[in-house]
Amino acid sequence: MAKLGLDIHWRGVLLVSQFLKDAGMEVIYIGNKFPEQIVEAAIEEDADVVGVSTLSGNHLTLGPKVVELLKAQGMETVKVFMGGVIPPNHIPILKGKGIHEVFGPDTPMQTIIDGIKTAILGTDPPTG
Amino acid sequence: MKKTDRLIEAALAGDKLSIARMISLVERGDDQAGRILEKIYPQSGGAYYIGITGPPGAGKSTIVDRLIHLFCVNGYSVGVIAIDPSSPFTGGSLLGDRIRINRDAFKEDVFFRSMSAGRVMGGLSRTAKDASRILDACGKEIVIMETVGVGQSELDIAQATDTIMVVVVPESGDNIQTLKAGLMEIGDIFAVNKSDRAGAEDMASSIKAMLDLAPLKMDWHPSVFLTAATLNQGVDELYEGLWNHYRHLRKEDRLKLRRKNQLRSELVRKVDEIVFESLRDRMNRDENLDLLLEDIWSKKTDIYTAARNIADQWKAGASGKHGHTDEMS
Amino acid sequence: MPGKTDKEACLFSEANVRKIETDYEDWHKNRLREEDRQLDGKYFTPSGIPVKLIYSPADIKDIRYSEDVGFSGQPPFVRGVYPNMYRGRLFTVRQLAGLGAPEDCNQRVKYLLKHGATGINILFDLPTIRGYDSDDPEAEGNVGYCGAAVDSIDDMDTFFADIDLGSISTSIVTHLPSTSLVIPGMYFGVAEKRGTPLQKLAGTCQNDFIMETCVGSAPEILPPPVSFKMQCDVIEWIVKHAPRWNPVSYNGYNLREAGTDAVTEVGVAIANAIATAEELINRGLKIDDFAPRMSFFWDLHNDFFEEIAKCRASRKVWYKLMTERFGARNENSMRMRFHVQTAGVTLTATEPLNNIVRSGIQGLAAVLGGCQSLHIDSYDEAYSAPTEEAALVSIRTQQIIQQETGVVNTVDPLAGSYYVESLTEEMTHRIFQFIQKIEDMGGLVTAVENGWLHREISKYNHTHQKQIETGERKVVGVNYMKAESEAACPIEVFEYPETYSRQKARLEKLRKTRNKEKVKSCLEELRAKCHSGDNLFPYCLEAVKNHATLGEIEEAFREEFGLWSFPLMG
Repeated sequence: MAKLGLDIHWRGVLLVSQFLKDAGMEVIYIGNKFPEQIVEAAIEEDADVVGVSTLSGNHLTLGPKVVELLKAQGMETVKVFMGGVIPPNHIPILKGKGIHEVFGPDTPMQTIIDGIKTAILGTDPPTG
Repeated sequence: MKKTDRLIEAALAGDKLSIARMISLVERGDDQAGRILEKIYPQSGGAYYIGITGPPGAGKSTIVDRLIHLFCVNGYSVGVIAIDPSSPFTGGSLLGDRIRINRDAFKEDVFFRSMSAGRVMGGLSRTAKDASRILDACGKEIVIMETVGVGQSELDIAQATDTIMVVVVPESGDNIQTLKAGLMEIGDIFAVNKSDRAGAEDMASSIKAMLDLAPLKMDWHPSVFLTAATLNQGVDELYEGLWNHYRHLRKEDRLKLRRKNQLRSELVRKVDEIVFESLRDRMNRDENLDLLLEDIWSKKTDIYTAARNIADQWKAGASGKHGHTDEMS
Repeated sequence: MPGKTDKEACLFSEANVRKIETDYEDWHKNRLREEDRQLDGKYFTPSGIPVKLIYSPADIKDIRYSEDVGFSGQPPFVRGVYPNMYRGRLFTVRQLAGLGAPEDCNQRVKYLLKHGATGINILFDLPTIRGYDSDDPEAEGNVGYCGAAVDSIDDMDTFFADIDLGSISTSIVTHLPSTSLVIPGMYFGVAEKRGTPLQKLAGTCQNDFIMETCVGSAPEILPPPVSFKMQCDVIEWIVKHAPRWNPVSYNGYNLREAGTDAVTEVGVAIANAIATAEELINRGLKIDDFAPRMSFFWDLHNDFFEEIAKCRASRKVWYKLMTERFGARNENSMRMRFHVQTAGVTLTATEPLNNIVRSGIQGLAAVLGGCQSLHIDSYDEAYSAPTEEAALVSIRTQQIIQQETGVVNTVDPLAGSYYVESLTEEMTHRIFQFIQKIEDMGGLVTAVENGWLHREISKYNHTHQKQIETGERKVVGVNYMKAESEAACPIEVFEYPETYSRQKARLEKLRKTRNKEKVKSCLEELRAKCHSGDNLFPYCLEAVKNHATLGEIEEAFREEFGLWSFPLMG
C-alpha cells in the first residue's frame, strides 16, 4: 500500500491497511512513494496486489505509470487498486489504462476487502 | 519440477522477480520449498551476514537505510530481510519497514524483503534464515537481517548472523537496565542512535562500562558508536566498525567456528522440528487420543506416564495406536 | 473549578433548584416509560460527553453568571470576544481560493471578492505546501492541483495582481512553519515593492508545527523540535515588524480532519500555544507582546451543540490560561479569535447536493459559536477544488446566515440554554484535563516526537470507521438510506494541467535572469544560520527578495536539519 507521490492524507490508507490486516492479509505499507519505487517494492515483496491512495489529483498522471511499470517488469498478474478522491468520470479512464478497481470515498471497508480478495483468488498462483 | 529449476536458475542469476517468488514459496512451505533450499545451499555462504536489532523507536530502519547506501556506494550488493514478529494470531500483519527506505528505484543493487509471522508457515526465525540464505546464494554479498528486539525469536534471528548490531537510543532515566538483558549479551557492535539528544554520551559510557565487565566472546571487545542517522552523523564510523568485526572474524578461523556452531544449533533445531512435526501430526490424527484424554481427566492415568508411553511407542517405531487403558491398568 | 461556596452568585436559588430536582425525579419516574429510562446513559456526543434526555436549571445550578459566563467582550469571554459582536462587524466571509498557477488563482480571488467575500484565504498545491518547486521530481503529478503553485516572489506578485495589499486581509495558508518562514516573506516583499509598509498589512499565516509533523505524511519531514523552533521564529519576527499580522493560526481543523474529537482538537492547539508562549517568553518577550496575535482555526463538525459548546469553551479556557498561568494584562491577549471551516470529512461523494445542507448547518453552528471568520465547504469538495458555481453557493450560504436569519442580531443567543451551558462547562473541564495530560508527558513537542499523537489519531480512526461499517454511526446516503442506484453525478471537475508547464518555464527563466551570486550567498548565509539558534525569518526574507525559490530554501532546511521518521507504525 502506498501514498502516491506527495499526497499527504494518511488517514484513509492507514485505515484500509488496518482493516485488510484484520481480514488476514499481509499488508506492507511503504509510505509516500513514486511509481518506480512502488513497483520495485511490489517485485521484492512478491505482492499479489498493489494499493495506491491519493486525494490530491495526481491519479491520472501517476496511477497508470504503476500499471505500465509492472507490466514492463513481468508482473502483469499483479492487480492495482486505487483509492481516495477520484472523480467518477476519471474512473473509466483509469480502468482503461489497466487499474483494476477504483474505490471512491464512502466505499465500505467490506467492499474493499472483498474486492481485493476476489482479485487475489482469481489469479493464477505464481510459478513454482 | 522443471518450472522450479528454471526459477532457481533465474534467481541464482540474479533476477529479482524469481528471487522474490522463491522466497514466497519457502515462506508458504510449498512442496517445492525443500528442493529449492537444497539446491541453493551449495551456492550460499559467501555473504557477510549482519543482524540489526534493538528496541522499537531506536531508528534501526534509518540506520539500515544509511548502511545499505554505504555498502552500495562501495560496490557491494545487498540483501535485507526486515522481520516483524507481531500478529501471529489473526494471520494478518501490517509492516512498515519500507517507509524509511527512500532510494532511487532500480538504481542500486539492493533487495529488500519484509517478513511477518502471519505469512510464514513454519517458524519465523527458520524462514528468515532460509530467506537470507537464498539472498546469499543469489549473489548478495551483504545480507542484513533487521528485527525488533523484543522476544526470543528475534534474538534467535540475530544469532544466525556473523555480526550482531544492537541499536539503542538515549532516553530519560536509567536506561541500560531497561534494555532487555539478552540484547546486551549478544551485541558485537552497539550504536547509540539519535545521539544529538541529551544523554547519548552517558548511555554510550554506561554501555562501555558494562561491556568492560563482561567476558569476551571470541576475543572480541564489542565497540560502541554514537550515531545520528537522520543527520548522517556517525554512520561512516559505524560502517567501518562492521568491517572491523568482519576482519576480526576472518582471522584465526573465528568465522568458521562461529558459523559451525550456528550450523550445529540449526541442525539440531531442524531435526527437532521434523520430528516434532511428524509426531504431532500423528498424535493429532490418532482417533484414540480423546479416549486417552478422558483417562487422564478421570485420573485413571496421569499425564506424565501417558506422555512417556506415547514417546516410547514412537521411539519403538510403533504405528497407529498409542498406549491405552490396557497399558494403564 | 472555581469555588462553589458562593451560592448567592448562582443563577437559581437553592430552594428553586431543589424543587426542580424533585420535579425532575417525578417526571423521570412517572412521565417516562420504562423503555425511555432504559436509554439513560446511552447517548453521547462524539467526544464522549453523556447527553441526557432533558436538561433543566438543575444541571447548571453551580454556574454563576458573571464569573462563568459573563457578557461579550469581557472576561471570561465565553459569550464572544467583542462587546458588539456581529452588530459591530459581521464575521468575515473568507472562502478559500487555491488552484492552478498564480494567474488562475488571481482570477478566482477577484471572483470571490466581486461576489461578496470580505477576506482572502489562499491555499497552495501540495508541492508548495511541502516546499518543493513546481519542477522538482517530487512534485510530479501534483502541480496546480488542490491549490495554487507558488515558487517565487514573482509568482506572489502575479497572484495579487491588481489587488491593493493595504486594503485587504489575507489569510495565507502556509501550513508548515518551514514554509511560513518563506511564503509570507514573499507577500511582504511584494508589498514593500509596491510601497505598502509592513505595518499596514493585515492577514494571517498558519504556521503550525503539528501540520508539519503529524497531520500529513510526506517523503521528507523535518524533526518536530526544528519545526517548532521555526514556528516560534516566524511569530517572534512578525509581531515585531508587522503588528497587524497574525503570525499563527493554531490549526485544530486539519488535526480534527485527520481523526480526533473536539476535545483533542482544541486541546492540542492550545497546548501548542502554551509551548509557544513559554518559548517566546524564554526569548525575552512578554506575553502581551505576542498573545494578542495568536489566532486559532477550528473545524465545525456534525454535532450541532457540541461544536457550539466547543467554541464557547475554547474561549473560556484561553482566557483562564492567559490570565491565571501567564499573567496577561492586555485584554487582547485574553481574546481567543478563531476562523472556522466546516468539516470536509463529513462531506460525501454520494449525493453531493446533500453537502450543501451539511455545511449550511455547520456554518450556522459556527456563527452561533461566535466565529470571527468562516469558510463554508463547497458541495463538490469531496471530488476536487471547488468550481465557481459551488464556491458561489458557499458564499451565498454565509450571506443568507448574515442577512436573512437574524441570528447575528444578538450576541451568543444560545447562552442560558441548560444543555449548551452544561456542555460548555463540561468541555472546558475536559480540555483542561487534556492539556494537563500533555504537560505530564513533557509537552506537546515530546508527545509528537514519540508518536503519541499519531497513535491517538490512528486509534480514533479505527474506532470511528468500525462504527460506520457496523452502521452505528450513520451517514445519510452512504450507510443510511443508501439509494438503490447511483444517480449520475452532477459534479464538474476542473483541472489545470498546464500549470506544470507554465511554472516550469517561469522557473527556468527565473534561474537565468536572477543574480546567481546573490542567491548563492543568501542561501549560504541561511544555511550557516540554521545551527546558530538565530531567528531565521530575516534570512529567508532576504533570500526571497533576491529571487531564491521556495524549493531551494526548503531543500537547504532538509539538508541542514535532517529528516524525521514519521512514527506512523509505532
